[in-house]
Amino acid sequence: MSGLQLEQISCRTLRQLQLQLADGEAVAILGPSGAGKSTLLKVIAGLLPHEGQVRLDGRPINQLPPHRRAIGYLSQELHLFPHLTVAQNLLLPLVFNYRGPESRRQRVQRMLALTQASHLATLKPPRLSGGERQRAALARCLVIQPCLLLLDEPFSALDHDTRSRLWHEFNHLRRHTRLTTLMVTHDPDEAQLLADRTLELRAGALQPQAEAAQPRGGCSVSCISGYSVRSPITF
Amino acid sequence: MPRAPRPLRYLLLAFSLPLGVIAITIGGALGALALQLSATDLWAASRDPETLFALGLSLESSLLALLLALLAGIPTGYLLARCDFPGRALLETLLDLPMLTPPLVAGTGLLFLLGRHSLLGEGLARLGVELLFSPAGIVLAQSYVATSVIVRASQAAFARVDPAYAQIAWTLGLAPHWALLLVEIPMALPGLAAATILGWARALGEFGATLMLAGATRMHTETLPMAIYLNIATGDTERAVTCALLLLLLAFMLLITLRLLTRFRHASVPA
Repeated sequence: MSGLQLEQISCRTLRQLQLQLADGEAVAILGPSGAGKSTLLKVIAGLLPHEGQVRLDGRPINQLPPHRRAIGYLSQELHLFPHLTVAQNLLLPLVFNYRGPESRRQRVQRMLALTQASHLATLKPPRLSGGERQRAALARCLVIQPCLLLLDEPFSALDHDTRSRLWHEFNHLRRHTRLTTLMVTHDPDEAQLLADRTLELRAGALQPQAEAAQPRGGCSVSCISGYSVRSPITF
Repeated sequence: MPRAPRPLRYLLLAFSLPLGVIAITIGGALGALALQLSATDLWAASRDPETLFALGLSLESSLLALLLALLAGIPTGYLLARCDFPGRALLETLLDLPMLTPPLVAGTGLLFLLGRHSLLGEGLARLGVELLFSPAGIVLAQSYVATSVIVRASQAAFARVDPAYAQIAWTLGLAPHWALLLVEIPMALPGLAAATILGWARALGEFGATLMLAGATRMHTETLPMAIYLNIATGDTERAVTCALLLLLLAFMLLITLRLLTRFRHASVPA
């Protein structure tokens, strides 16, 4: 069974939580502050202890440490490594997992081009604008060829124009990568635009959001399902 | 810059008085030292074999002590910055003690701990390890006082690095030890370098604990502070002043490096 399955996930703020994401599906989770949205992403990424089962592409990953899960996790603060340039931020994860300096360099260039961040390669994060940091951090997430992308309010710190532009670019990127994505956000518009399905996390449990449940144009499930699903990412 | 309101100006003027007193006292002490010797005498005394021995021994022992203190202090600082455990406050108080107690007290404690009549000292003696009243005693005393400085400074350096950076590195496929080496330590590096300089300065100027553990023997356990003590005691002011000026020069160089590092740290750490 491909995609992501969460079974009976419980921890500090989550209670017996169940969730299934089909391969290539994008799901947004809305909810008030403190509802446990970020906690849920950290549980899936392996950063928080929990009870219950997390399955990725059918195999349980509970026992896997975070560095063996191949899950791209984009935190709200992005956490680009400030002592490295953007290109070095992307190269670092490849040092131990990707053979050959030339193929590593090409992969970094490809990811930067995909996120329209090629011109940022030699810059260090403190010199980047909010939108540029977002692009660089997204490229770094994608460079490891994740099976799943977790986004923790990724566009919340941006101004309206930059956010709209990045929404559009992200949709385009998802169409290109067919990457299973789980995002949490405060913004119903963002959820509506970027996700195929929207859920609400309330009192530690997930509930469907009726008005946002319809797939929309641009990056819908139907659009994605046309591709052969669960590829190791081909971007 | 806007002009400060009048009452504040008076207050600042009043505060500049103690500042002036402090600056004049320090400058006066330095000037008095520097004026004790003519340039020719200073040059001659600085080439004296005893002075050179003291300088060499000070540099060698303090660098070795620094290495030991870094090996013990940096992992401890990391642990204290990242982990919470029962009894932590008590342990931190214990680790701070060497910074606050007079070095003579620390030296006396170590002397009793390692003396031939103690269990540990007896065991070491059986193994042929002679720490007391030897250059090894100097290294021990210096590393003892430098370690607590390095523990505290490296703890602060690691605490400034958000642990989320390491977590992100894990999700990118880096095992925790690589995340530490390639992300956390480089990000804490300016702070760790400052810790190194502070620890080295502390080791270089160590006197009280060294006196207790290694004794004051000319051309054997004679570091620069010990040379000052010995030569003042025997009335050889020239040599004592030369050693004091050498220590001042080293401290000055370390301070300049520390200032440069602090500036670099402020420029490199993201808001």
